[in-house]
Amino acid sequence: MGDSQYSFSLTTFSPSGKLVQIEHALTAVGSGQTSLGIKAANGVVIATEKKLPSILVDETSVQKIQILTPNIGVVYSGMGPDSRVLVRKSRKQAEQYNRLYKEAIPVTQLVRETAAVMQEFTQSGGVRPFGVSLLVAGYDDKGPQLYQVDPSGSYFSWKASAMGKNVSNAKTFLEKRYTDDMELDDAVHTAILTLKEGFEGQISGKNIEIGIIGADKQFRVLTPAEIEDYLQEVE
Amino acid sequence: MSRGSGGGYDRHITIFSPEGRLFQVEYAFKAVKAAGVTSIGVRGKDSVCVVTQKKVPDKLLDPSSITHLFAVTKYLGLVATGTTADARTLVQQARNEAAEFRHKYGYEMPADTLARWIADKSQVYTQHAYMRPLGVVAMVLGIDDEVGPQLFKCDPAGHFFGHKATSAGLKEQEAINFLEKKMKNDPAFTYEETVQTAISALQSVLQEDLKANEIEVGVVVKGNPIFRALSTDEIDEHLTAISERD
Repeated sequence: MGDSQYSFSLTTFSPSGKLVQIEHALTAVGSGQTSLGIKAANGVVIATEKKLPSILVDETSVQKIQILTPNIGVVYSGMGPDSRVLVRKSRKQAEQYNRLYKEAIPVTQLVRETAAVMQEFTQSGGVRPFGVSLLVAGYDDKGPQLYQVDPSGSYFSWKASAMGKNVSNAKTFLEKRYTDDMELDDAVHTAILTLKEGFEGQISGKNIEIGIIGADKQFRVLTPAEIEDYLQEVE
Repeated sequence: MSRGSGGGYDRHITIFSPEGRLFQVEYAFKAVKAAGVTSIGVRGKDSVCVVTQKKVPDKLLDPSSITHLFAVTKYLGLVATGTTADARTLVQQARNEAAEFRHKYGYEMPADTLARWIADKSQVYTQHAYMRPLGVVAMVLGIDDEVGPQLFKCDPAGHFFGHKATSAGLKEQEAINFLEKKMKNDPAFTYEETVQTAISALQSVLQEDLKANEIEVGVVVKGNPIFRALSTDEIDEHLTAISERD
């Protein structure tokens, strides 16, 4: 990684002790489309806006929410191309774990390894940090879990979180609405309402994406038709 | 206290600016426009057509050596809009990758896989300082066994999307506005309609009637999914059909 010409790190400390490249990366995340996640008592839901640059774009060719393992999914805010790299690395790490230990990788371990990759790119020579924050949703033996990973490589477990353009409004909304004993269906409704708060234009099954994982431990992305059903219930 | 513009390097290599932007990537987009060529791609019901300008800057140049239309494999076409040198290196690498794919997996590389590969390579150039992004927007076209005609556009930032119709280059935005109107109600164009929509879109944004030797047209059609460039006679037929229609 990085040419010998660039054997020095591009992310260096400023006189005040800050790593400005990471701060700028967070700014890039903050100008990305809003995404959020909510951990319910019996599952996790992640959701994001899917605003495309033109009606000419075939929306079936775009999927922002990605599956990492059968029981772990991820959504991002920020630079799409950077997220593809992380998804690919995470999938490989999960598969390597599975091959070695013959069991599914625990959510915390996958999050830790993904975060380690992101941290490497803040310290290695000749590379810039990733311009994405990830929300990882999984369900394993420890129950439903939601983690947010930032460009710096730091990660935290969240009951509910949001990222991107509308982060402050979304988080305020989630703080009001969140309860520890929420069911997955309620969480999906809350997720939709939160997205609706800052949504410009008419929300529909085609311009948002929702991924859920329940006690069945199978992560899946909802079809536009299923999202429309939830939207009807919320009206 | 942050150091303002990151020591000035954020304009020279792909590190973040204080606003979270990548200037080198944005400049790469400008380089695509600076080439002065516009390309258009349209996806029909069972065919895909791409049209690009063929600008021959000097009468002494051999026009047959100037092209932006490349066959990556027999079945996949690529239109590279932007800096010619960057386009050639991209096509060379794409051809290699597609051939290795065919050898490794035993079936032809699909259009979306090629587009994803190009986009992932572009993303690497946006993250590693030792290589600049390429000043090329690539449109990949092909007929997929499972989903039919496909048109993908990959840009220097590493984005790629499937498109019903799209454009790249100098008059990109005007062309997209034109195409949005035409494709508003999700029409299912026949082969002739696909080609004529693409050509008339280019004529409309360039605001001039085109001659057959001023454009290149590439097509893939479902029944015979080989990517091919139309001959000047075939282009003439379509141009005549368009002018008779109007």
